[in-house]
Amino acid sequence: MKSRHLSIIAKKEFSGLLSERTILLAVLLQLFVALFSSFLMVGLTSMYDPASLSQYSRFKYNVGYAGTDTDLLYSLYQSPDFRVYRMDLSTGVAALKERKLAALIWAPDTRPDAEEPVKLTLYTLQNDLQSAIVDVKLKEVFLNYERDLRQVRADRLSEQPMPLEIPPARGAGEFFEFVYGLLIPLLVFMPAIIASALIIDLITEEYQHDTLETLVSTPVTFSEMVWGKILACEVLVPVQAGIWLILLMANGIAIQNAGLILLHVSVSSLVLILLGALTALHYRERTAAQFIFSTALVVVILFSLALPSNPMNLLTRLSVGMAGTEQWLVLAAVAGVVVILAYATQKYAERISRINQA
Amino acid sequence: MGALADIVTIAKWEVKKSFTMMSRDMLPLAIILFVLLVAVTGFSAQSGLHLQDGMYNVATNDRAVAELLASDNRFTVTLLDNNPLWVTRSSYDLIVMGGQVIPSNTEKGRSALKTVERDYAKYVNSVYTRQDDLFAAYPLWIDTQGITSELSFTATQSGQRVGTPPSRGPPVPAGIIEEIAPPSPALSVTEEELRQQLVQSTSKDTQISRYTDALSSGTSTMGTFKTPSQLSPPLPFDSIILVFVFIFPLYFTSQFFMMSIMNERIERKGEILLTTPVKTSSIIIGKMLPYFLGMLAICTALTLWIGAPWLILLPLIPVIFFFLANALIIGMLARSFKELSFISIFFSTVATSYLFFPSIFANVHVVSLISPLTLIVLTMQGTAWTAADYLYSTSLFWLTGAVLFYIAARNFKEERLFSEKGLVTRMREFLSEILSRNHPFMALFLLSGFTIPFVFMVQMMCLVLFFNLPMPLSLICLLLFAALVEEIAKGIGIYTLYLRDPGFFTAKIILIACGATALGFLIGEKLLLFVTLAEISDSVFGSILFLSLGSLWLPLLLHFGCVLIVACCLKKWGARGFAPGLGIAMVVHCCYNLYFILGWLG
Repeated sequence: MKSRHLSIIAKKEFSGLLSERTILLAVLLQLFVALFSSFLMVGLTSMYDPASLSQYSRFKYNVGYAGTDTDLLYSLYQSPDFRVYRMDLSTGVAALKERKLAALIWAPDTRPDAEEPVKLTLYTLQNDLQSAIVDVKLKEVFLNYERDLRQVRADRLSEQPMPLEIPPARGAGEFFEFVYGLLIPLLVFMPAIIASALIIDLITEEYQHDTLETLVSTPVTFSEMVWGKILACEVLVPVQAGIWLILLMANGIAIQNAGLILLHVSVSSLVLILLGALTALHYRERTAAQFIFSTALVVVILFSLALPSNPMNLLTRLSVGMAGTEQWLVLAAVAGVVVILAYATQKYAERISRINQA
Repeated sequence: MGALADIVTIAKWEVKKSFTMMSRDMLPLAIILFVLLVAVTGFSAQSGLHLQDGMYNVATNDRAVAELLASDNRFTVTLLDNNPLWVTRSSYDLIVMGGQVIPSNTEKGRSALKTVERDYAKYVNSVYTRQDDLFAAYPLWIDTQGITSELSFTATQSGQRVGTPPSRGPPVPAGIIEEIAPPSPALSVTEEELRQQLVQSTSKDTQISRYTDALSSGTSTMGTFKTPSQLSPPLPFDSIILVFVFIFPLYFTSQFFMMSIMNERIERKGEILLTTPVKTSSIIIGKMLPYFLGMLAICTALTLWIGAPWLILLPLIPVIFFFLANALIIGMLARSFKELSFISIFFSTVATSYLFFPSIFANVHVVSLISPLTLIVLTMQGTAWTAADYLYSTSLFWLTGAVLFYIAARNFKEERLFSEKGLVTRMREFLSEILSRNHPFMALFLLSGFTIPFVFMVQMMCLVLFFNLPMPLSLICLLLFAALVEEIAKGIGIYTLYLRDPGFFTAKIILIACGATALGFLIGEKLLLFVTLAEISDSVFGSILFLSLGSLWLPLLLHFGCVLIVACCLKKWGARGFAPGLGIAMVVHCCYNLYFILGWLG
């Protein structure tokens, strides 16, 4: 196998990609997803942690209170988030409908130490961004009231949970897991999936457009052609993944071990690319090959996700700086799979070219 | 009747062809893979998904706490004595010492703290739900009642502060006060039912069960009763799974359709079909029919499987239609498999985002209704939606699908199918084909009218995209993008005509062509607005997109002026003048919008 032949084939595929400007679509896609995920984060933050949005933080909401006076009413008066009005139920609901109140609470005259629970009724506006925020703020007050009631009824409990004092969380932190535990492995791994779909296209195209004979009549051998295409796809992976990492870092997401992440992605993407190449060589027709390969892809990814310290998990750990020496073991295991698949691909390609010559 | 028979025949061919192609030693492998898939799904359900294992590094001196933390895979737990623990505390994300949780002062530390908080809450719940006296452990229950406000969403949406200005006394409603009976102090469900629900909600350990529960939780017996800790908006990540359960098979099947179209074009295999005396529309419908029915069958099976109401099929039909229309166009446009792959991946990502992201906010905001999936989420929750909601969220899908089908049908012929030109050139040719040579002005009028659904769709995406940016920034972005999208839509017809026949445009013809385009755009815009978008157009965002319902001559003048700018640039500099022309038109458009919004705001 001559490396010059490999690079010729790889170059040919690259220029094909560039002239079709399809690679532009891939870059556009990355930008699009990055934009959308940032939208998602801001949107979710405003929903779950409204205090993080300054425009809502120092605003007092009007809350109506109807029914019996309880300790809850007292703590609502104490809360900096609410302006509480004592009113009767019907007036309150009417005011809520006109948006003069943000919420209305009705309390029954159940004693704190009664057998039955205290059942509050909370009226809020349906399908409204503001109610979601008020709900989150009211939740704190309700939780305090629940704790007080539980204290009153404590002697009726047979077992107490072990105490653990958790300080109130300051600032965000809610999306750390989303970003590092889902977004980064997903985005960094996406080029690997794109590359493996690409290898199928590149190989089946030669068959379905009947361009194979022309190619094989040149000094390039069949297996050199296959490996050249594999090379082209493999080179794309670290480049694309690298762009991702740079984009994420530009968004203010600190990523540790970027080099190691690219190394791991490049090696594990070879598994997928070789699988794709094998399927394509076998079926020589895009629909069938893509169908079988996509199903196999789901199986492989689901299976590896179910294993502890899988390559995707390693990406997460590397990006937060938590990967130890076990990463080299995993890398070695993945490289082992690559070697087996590479051997199979080589043998299969040789067999096909023998049949072609015969 | 003849057309119907043709359609059925072609549909039969299509099915037969795809089966003969499939059978080539594909079936055995497909079956093996399917069995493997089931096995792997079972395996991963058992062992859980290990994506976030070992993210946090924590340490404690308490054995019980260590056990509690170690039950969560995300923690790497170290058990230490008091002294070493305190000395080495800075090397951990979080330590627990003497019942006190101390996070490190980093983003990661805070995130670890939140995770501990959740794990601890789960543990506390598991202790409390074991109590004989449930109402001593859970003494407070909240019955949540949603009230529909007669006032519109305008206030919250425009980012204004909601609520009354501070006043001395309690707020007094201006309208009639309806008498409302005080709610009963007793719970309407039994203690055991409540306990079961609590156990269920705390046992949601694995990520997978959390999602599967969400799919089947449409019929909760609990009604509206919640403990205080359950009082927060429903978890939106569940709709991720909803999307993938329904959309992924659709996307997959439409790939087959795309490929079938592409296969006709490779090596001119489809030529025979074109020589038959069958109308092209019959060929297209016939080829599409099996896929449409297949997708519908998949959706029906899924609906049956998760036991959801039949109503959720209704919003899915336009989505299927839209997917197929796009598959058809993509299959006809792509020159190579690579191009097919990239375009289809791009399309599916964009379409999935459009469908999925709004539905996250299903319970929160009316904007979420722009995605038909929101209707599905609502149906599963048991929330009713109206025919107007259906029209609102699906009309764009119907319209864009129909227009794409029309373009495909007009171009489904030899010289288009088998040409090898670039993507952009081909797109222009496709457009050129539907612009009639005999009635160019009528064609321009209709074309710009029919770009409206696409413009709205793109603008809706911008709306979603920019909705949560900080206020001035989101307005500016929306302003620029909305103007640019509209200018492109208006200019594209003239551009196509110009490239087809540069000599065609004299000064007089330019004026008439611009007039026709502007009029078509205006009429299309107002018509669609009238039907669907009243709700959105009330807000500040809407007012940028669909400004000026009141007077008609002003927007007409604007459209006319902007198209004229583009046309003049084309005339002056040829095809190279298109981009600068668009730029100038965009600026003009923005100034116009700014003037009106500033006037409106001031």
